Amino acid sequence: MQSDLTTLDKPPISPRERKLSRFLLFFEDIIKVPLFRCQHCGECILSSTGFVCSQRCPKRLRNGPCGGTGADGSCEVYPERKCVWYRIYLRSKFFCRLSLLYKINKIHNWNLEHTSAWLNVFKKRIDAPMIFVRNDKDIVKDMIVDDTQRKN
Amino acid sequence: MTLKEKINSDRFIVCGEIGPPQSCDGDLIRKKSQYFKGIVDAVNITDNQTAMPRLSSIASAKILLEEGVEPIMQMTCRDRNRLAIQSDLLGAAALGIRNVLCLTGDYQKFGDNPEAKGVYDLDSIQLISTVAKMNDGYLLSGQKMKKAPDFLIGAAANPFAMPLEMRLIRLYKKVQAGAHFIQTQPVFDMELFMRWMERVVEMGLHEKVAILAGVMPVKSVKTLLSMQANVPGVKINDEYIHRMEAAPDPKTEGVRIAVEIIQTLKTIKGIRGIHLMPVLWESIIPTVVKEAGLCNQN
Repeated sequence: MQSDLTTLDKPPISPRERKLSRFLLFFEDIIKVPLFRCQHCGECILSSTGFVCSQRCPKRLRNGPCGGTGADGSCEVYPERKCVWYRIYLRSKFFCRLSLLYKINKIHNWNLEHTSAWLNVFKKRIDAPMIFVRNDKDIVKDMIVDDTQRKN
Repeated sequence: MTLKEKINSDRFIVCGEIGPPQSCDGDLIRKKSQYFKGIVDAVNITDNQTAMPRLSSIASAKILLEEGVEPIMQMTCRDRNRLAIQSDLLGAAALGIRNVLCLTGDYQKFGDNPEAKGVYDLDSIQLISTVAKMNDGYLLSGQKMKKAPDFLIGAAANPFAMPLEMRLIRLYKKVQAGAHFIQTQPVFDMELFMRWMERVVEMGLHEKVAILAGVMPVKSVKTLLSMQANVPGVKINDEYIHRMEAAPDPKTEGVRIAVEIIQTLKTIKGIRGIHLMPVLWESIIPTVVKEAGLCNQN
């Protein structure tokens, strides 16, 4: 579990690849900015967060909400907004993708900031997106039961 | 007996909390530590709480060690990137600090430097994993250390924020990342807390992690109301507000409420201890602990 805490910078990004990345980012932006208000972290976890960009959180949390979410699901920093993670929860529930929220996301690699996430997936720097999730509820149940057994 | 040994045994744990001052007054911490000495098992040292610069948590924890009180050093992700976090943890370990509580941190907007840049390089869950990795003898880069620290890792949980299921997912992740104990927000709404605790027991998390419920003795109804208004994620049952308003002596009533909450918490399945948060009222701790009947265990 702890060996893959950080995203590896391998293979390193070459100057030529940076150019390609910028080119691809143009097309990625056309889709991701209007739909998800993409923040260009280059390490896309949209598929595991119910297709709501988690990087819109003021603290840029990648692993769930901070303790400040209001009773109505408002953000503590901007009370007029909904907490991004509240929206992620609702959307994940709606799409039956809650099991993906149980996964610990890696520490952000700032070298990948403003690079094309698609290219990074292709180069195997980051995990490929999970498009389909089947039997979401069973996966969650199995995961929790598994852990209890491992302990005993 | 260290906190780690106490958590591994079956004892009921009592933790306190000291907030360092906004000055270099180390004697204040020495003075406050006397209220906790021999009464609680360990004392939290907050790390720039409410996003204001204060006497650093490492230095304060060292002062507590000198006074013979076991500190739990809080470590937030707001002010440090991964380099500073690792170096501070190593420094703390070298000074003999054995317990660390991993937090994300209050947003800088709420402090006296609202224009500051928040770091948030890691979040609290990733911080827990980092400390766990350092306990295993490795730095984040994968570099092996000659001498590994041995931290007892704590984390926070908020049972009162919505939605409940998201809170449990986050708690699950924290346990998964390697937390040894969990401290919750102050309990002022028993019904909500019980509902959360039921789900925790259902998931089997109470066996893997020691859950310490937060208890906050309050001085006056004003404190309660300002907490309800200003502290995000704190829920207060109206009953307590009415009682504090009606009481002729709010201070005794505050203690009575705290003791009542402790007595109820002790009966709940899965609760391993309590975490007392006397914000600016440290002198009341001996009374609360004594009246709740937790005194003679130390």
